[in-house]
Amino acid sequence: MSGAFLHETAESLGRLVRSGERSALEVTGAFLERIARTADRLGTYLHRDPESALAMARSVDRRRAMGEALSPLAGVPIALKDNLCTRGVPTTCGSRILEGYRPPYDAHVVERLRDAGAVFVGKTNCDEFAMGSSTENSAYFPTRNPWDQERVPGGSSGGSAATVAAREAPLALGSDTGGSVRQPAAFCGVVGLKPTYGSVSRYGLVAFASSLDQIGPIARTARDAALLYNAICGRDERDMTSRAEAKPVSLDDLERGVKGLRLGIPRGLLGEGIDPEIQAALDGAARELSGEGADVVDVTLPHARSSIATYYLIAPAEASSNLARYDGVRYGRRVKDGDLKHMYGATRGRGFGREVRRRILLGTYALSAGYYDAYYLRAMKVRTLIRRDFADALRVADAILLPTTPTPPFRIGEKIDDPLAMYLNDIFSIPASLAGAPALSFPAGFTRAGLPIGLQVVGRPFEEQTLLRVARAWEAKCDAASRVPRLVAEGAR
Amino acid sequence: MSIDAETVRKVALLARLEIDPSEEPRLVRELASILSYVEQLQALDVTGIEPTSQVGGEAKPALREDVAKPCETREEALGQAPDRDGDYFRVPQVV
Repeated sequence: MSGAFLHETAESLGRLVRSGERSALEVTGAFLERIARTADRLGTYLHRDPESALAMARSVDRRRAMGEALSPLAGVPIALKDNLCTRGVPTTCGSRILEGYRPPYDAHVVERLRDAGAVFVGKTNCDEFAMGSSTENSAYFPTRNPWDQERVPGGSSGGSAATVAAREAPLALGSDTGGSVRQPAAFCGVVGLKPTYGSVSRYGLVAFASSLDQIGPIARTARDAALLYNAICGRDERDMTSRAEAKPVSLDDLERGVKGLRLGIPRGLLGEGIDPEIQAALDGAARELSGEGADVVDVTLPHARSSIATYYLIAPAEASSNLARYDGVRYGRRVKDGDLKHMYGATRGRGFGREVRRRILLGTYALSAGYYDAYYLRAMKVRTLIRRDFADALRVADAILLPTTPTPPFRIGEKIDDPLAMYLNDIFSIPASLAGAPALSFPAGFTRAGLPIGLQVVGRPFEEQTLLRVARAWEAKCDAASRVPRLVAEGAR
Repeated sequence: MSIDAETVRKVALLARLEIDPSEEPRLVRELASILSYVEQLQALDVTGIEPTSQVGGEAKPALREDVAKPCETREEALGQAPDRDGDYFRVPQVV
């Protein structure tokens, strides 16, 4: 019986708990059982605490018994990416340098979810400090794609996307700097939303590149993603970039369909390097949505091709500054090595993994005297051109439709020794990040080999609603979410 | 612009990042390949274009009231230090 919960949406699990039809304890127990069965094989979690999850569930049941009104997420299990601070619970960001670190406070989103009665099942694996596109850069172990365990789940929120795809949790939070929610969502066949820059407070999100970082929901359906987004969005005075314009979306409105909506396709950005099956999925979705009444138009993003070069200057520059705080003095790991200067060097040199060191060096170089104008300043100017492209395109269209990734999930190890090849995989997700625009990846079907394909919708600032509406319309038409990974089907007996 | 082992060592020192000498050739190769890729930005005309340092930065910054609020206790703040001396963080010899 308990296995039946695993395929329910978060929305319906919340309803079952609120109505008293099922207890939060039963629901949580079912997911913990599933996690115990598959999480080690998939490498989805860096930290699990079933006892504390059960305690959170019991507390929801107690509150219900006392007649308290419960929120839609009360009793719903949620997985948290390991770069979100959780009071007293290990938060490592997938890095050795934070091994054993237990933050003395909760991130804003964690606080909001606690208040909502959500049940935290664990901290998910990720690329170290969210730097990567495959979760192979975790200092602990890689995460495997539930659809094909020889392949990567994407990254950096690979653990969060894989755990939702594997039915280990109905919901998860990730963070997205250049595609780290959307790309793993696409690779794992789930929904991933990167909200508008400023929609969600980053207080307590361990900083990577502050002008780009956003926290976003991962779910199996558009409605579930909306539910989680609603629980975390809005102004928080502890993050001065968070904005009051960020409003919860209306779930009823998501059912309105796409009639009259103008969807722009940036054909100029597609072309070479894109897998033919992904191109076919995009064409198919454009046809289907047009059949539902959407108006499919052409848009251009002339500078989007420059976005990877722009991003790999801006993000490492900001990272090199943000990661200066890991010095072995106030928290985290210290490597003893002579005087203070050598202690810094040894702590950081041995505490950070390859990719993080590479990006710190790149960022330090781009910001250093003599190179600042040629690299960092120029990249910030090109960023302005990219933002303008989006503003222009989104006057012609209400949302932009494009693939999330140029290829289906690649094999573990395939790109790990070629950082540039790994970076080029982000070509479709990075432009929206630089523009600060909201963007969502939804499952759009499978390749002939059975690997998930994700498509992406990008919208105007604070119009998350539109993106979720498109994803919902697609789901209603083509139920890709009904297919489950073999691992789940076998384990769910 | 090219990058050599000398530059990598200099940048690593600026970043307080100890690099094992055996790693240098690989780092030089990787950074050179990334830098040669980002070189494409030099071809774009950015005359008169304002830089974007933060999206939404043009909006009026939302300020909060300047009032004292409780924060973590001294014990919480010091509790995870790799080395401490009473109410102080202890560091190795500076000079």
